[in-house]
Amino acid sequence: MKGRRATGVIVVLAALAALPLFIRSEYLLGILSVCFIYGIWATSWDFMSGLTGRENFGHALFIGAGAYTAAFLNGKVGFAPWWGLPAGAAMAGGLSLVIGIPTLRLRGPYFALAMLAAATIMQRLTLIFWQYSGGEEGIPGLDPLLESKAAVYYLCLGVFVVITLALLLLAGSHWGLILRSIRGDEAAAQAAGVNVTFHKIAALVVSAFCAGIGGVLYAHYQEAVTPDVFSVALSISIIIMVYVGGIGSLYGPAAGAVLLALLPELLRGLGQYRLWVYSLVLIFILFFAPEGVIAPLWRRVTGGATGGAP
Amino acid sequence: MLNILVYGAVTSAVYAMLAVGFTLIFGVARVLNLAHGAFYGLGAYAAYVLTARLGWPLLPAAIVAVLFVAAFGVAVERVLIRPLRNSALAVLMITIAVGLLFEQAMYLLFGSEARNVPAFSNATWSYAGLDVSGQRLLTLGFGAAVIGLLWLFINRTRLGAAILALSQDREGALYVGIPADRIYAVVMAISAAIAASAGVLTAPFLTVQPTMDLLPMIKAFSIVIVGGLGSIPGSILAALLLGYSETIVAYAISPAWTEIVSLVAVLLTLILRPAGLLGKRAAF
Amino acid sequence: MTPLLEIQGLNKRFAGLVAVNDVSFSLAAGEIAGILGPNGAGKTTLFNLLTGFLASDSGSVRFDGRDLAGEPPHQIVNRGLARTFQLCRPFAGMSVLENVMVGCLAPRVRHRHAPRARARAILEAVGLAHRADAPVEVLPYGDLRRLEIARALATGPRLLLLDEPFAGLGATEIEPISALIRRLHASEGLTILLIEHRLREFMQLVSRVIAMDFGRVIASGTPADIVRHPRVIEAYIGRDDEVSETGEPPAGEPRGAA
Repeated sequence: MKGRRATGVIVVLAALAALPLFIRSEYLLGILSVCFIYGIWATSWDFMSGLTGRENFGHALFIGAGAYTAAFLNGKVGFAPWWGLPAGAAMAGGLSLVIGIPTLRLRGPYFALAMLAAATIMQRLTLIFWQYSGGEEGIPGLDPLLESKAAVYYLCLGVFVVITLALLLLAGSHWGLILRSIRGDEAAAQAAGVNVTFHKIAALVVSAFCAGIGGVLYAHYQEAVTPDVFSVALSISIIIMVYVGGIGSLYGPAAGAVLLALLPELLRGLGQYRLWVYSLVLIFILFFAPEGVIAPLWRRVTGGATGGAP
Repeated sequence: MLNILVYGAVTSAVYAMLAVGFTLIFGVARVLNLAHGAFYGLGAYAAYVLTARLGWPLLPAAIVAVLFVAAFGVAVERVLIRPLRNSALAVLMITIAVGLLFEQAMYLLFGSEARNVPAFSNATWSYAGLDVSGQRLLTLGFGAAVIGLLWLFINRTRLGAAILALSQDREGALYVGIPADRIYAVVMAISAAIAASAGVLTAPFLTVQPTMDLLPMIKAFSIVIVGGLGSIPGSILAALLLGYSETIVAYAISPAWTEIVSLVAVLLTLILRPAGLLGKRAAF
Repeated sequence: MTPLLEIQGLNKRFAGLVAVNDVSFSLAAGEIAGILGPNGAGKTTLFNLLTGFLASDSGSVRFDGRDLAGEPPHQIVNRGLARTFQLCRPFAGMSVLENVMVGCLAPRVRHRHAPRARARAILEAVGLAHRADAPVEVLPYGDLRRLEIARALATGPRLLLLDEPFAGLGATEIEPISALIRRLHASEGLTILLIEHRLREFMQLVSRVIAMDFGRVIASGTPADIVRHPRVIEAYIGRDDEVSETGEPPAGEPRGAA
């Protein structure tokens, strides 16, 4: 059983690594790179919200923080693009503390609403303080992290795989157990000696940090940022990807994000109806498959029994 | 000073109209309706279609637009929210999907450019060096009247009493046989209608665009958090507080900073008084 | 010798209702005592005050010589004061072993024992070893009660507060749980304070009873003294129906997370 799962993972990874040998289209490689970035966002969302059960409706806040930090340093100040990675991740992590500390102490929908509000307000601020953020057009003319599209593909794939595996390891560790107990029953977790506020905030910081890295990769892939990186549509798209993958499993959302990001591109002409597709997928999932699709399927194929790591 | 007094009052009235409906449906049905902004936007777009595309006079167009949105709200509650009511997260997701679909639909139908809705009043009111458009004053008056009527309705009618009972003691209300499902529909209709009328009234002086739903919704739930989730007097108080704070910030510093006011207010409330100004509990 | 737990003048009000009214008593290390009282007497509120789930209006709680005022629940657990809930509250979506492991990860015990091995040993002690890998959703209520106790034990407490450990159990399930509690007291030297509103279960289990009514301590003494105490009789005769076992789920019915 364990062997089959390991084989499955290796086959998938080998196929992804070999893809650039067969695909010469830079356009297609670019799309796949973006799919991996979505994978980073969905997995990092799932790490905090899926494991602890506190839904984050503004993951785009962290994505945008990473992307704009990178763009500002590279496009406005003139730093080398690689500086964006630590700076963007740190900025996202810092913002997660600002929102997380006041809201995660509380039960109720405050965290979800505050995240949604913060991301939306940040999007407005990029328009209002256009002297620094470039307004509607954002900040164009960024340097790519690597020159060739194939190299960017491997970079995005590499970061995606490393983050996903690292988060899976954390989720399977004692810390993951503590986070899952918070999802199970917050008061009972306290009675078992868990400092629930601390662990929720710590998980949010990790989640934000990874999302920020994804944001930096995205900004340099696009060689530009626009206020859309803060949009509600992006936050919700990510949650929908997690839902499709199977909330709380991490690998399901990782795969769900790659597939859902790819779907509108594969069905030509569907690109502009992307949000329609997602919304309909969401309604289908909510009504007919609340457990998601990918994680349950994967478990059946590989013979795994219960949740957690693959 | 007079500027701040009048403009602050207009802003507060709009915020109160948005927040009261949002807090009402939460208090009664425990539904956090993230499609609330879509109701507001839909009201404005419906008024636009009826007046600019179909050439209706404004008053019947406004009334039909509000009724249409009320019916839409009831339909959303019936078809999408009710089957998922057991899961708070699913309700959040489905209502936010409605909001996204609204934006996408408006974008496909009418494009991203701003649309115009005629004003009820093109007069300008001048006093002591202050010019205020009649439409703004009408909005202020209408907002105050709507909230007054809502107060009378809840405190003076049988249906209102049932709504109040449901929001104060759910189990008790269900136990004595209050038809919860029918009341959810009524409350949804009221909530959607008030949001839509705010949309119709503010459309002439704000922009009618596909993304117009988001900011009012953020304002609505910021106000509701500051005032206390589920408390109508709390949301009115918070609407005044936020409306005036934003107006003062706009005059004293710069209009650019107004957007930060609600975020700071929310975070301060959650740090200092999590249950909100007039809320009873920190959680639901 | 200073008592392990010392409660002095504890008060808690909810919107005009006095739930806990000037409660004072203390508990010596190694003692097994029970709080008796009809529903609504303030027993669970008292537990919530002791464990930091609620903040008291006034009064003090000293545990092991230290004032617990203002400490959050997890920190109180880490001082060696653990509790169970009246309604079993397992962590849904996790196995029995994982549930207990969460308790083993409390900072107080984490570094002294390997969590997994310790969790297995505790499951062995409460008689749940054979269900270690089962998801909690399939456990019958009697086993959920054992799990509830096992998770509290996992945090390595010196004082264990059990909130109605027999609630929801059928007649045949009570005795094994009662025996388990006695064993924990005898073999581990655990100090135990438990809540019940049924006298019968108390008689054979505890050495001292603290009787409460309307938030006040009305009597304290051995179980035999307490049943003859006029104020206890008054409190119970006055509201006879609440001593009965109505309104509780039938035996062995599996229940999910509360």
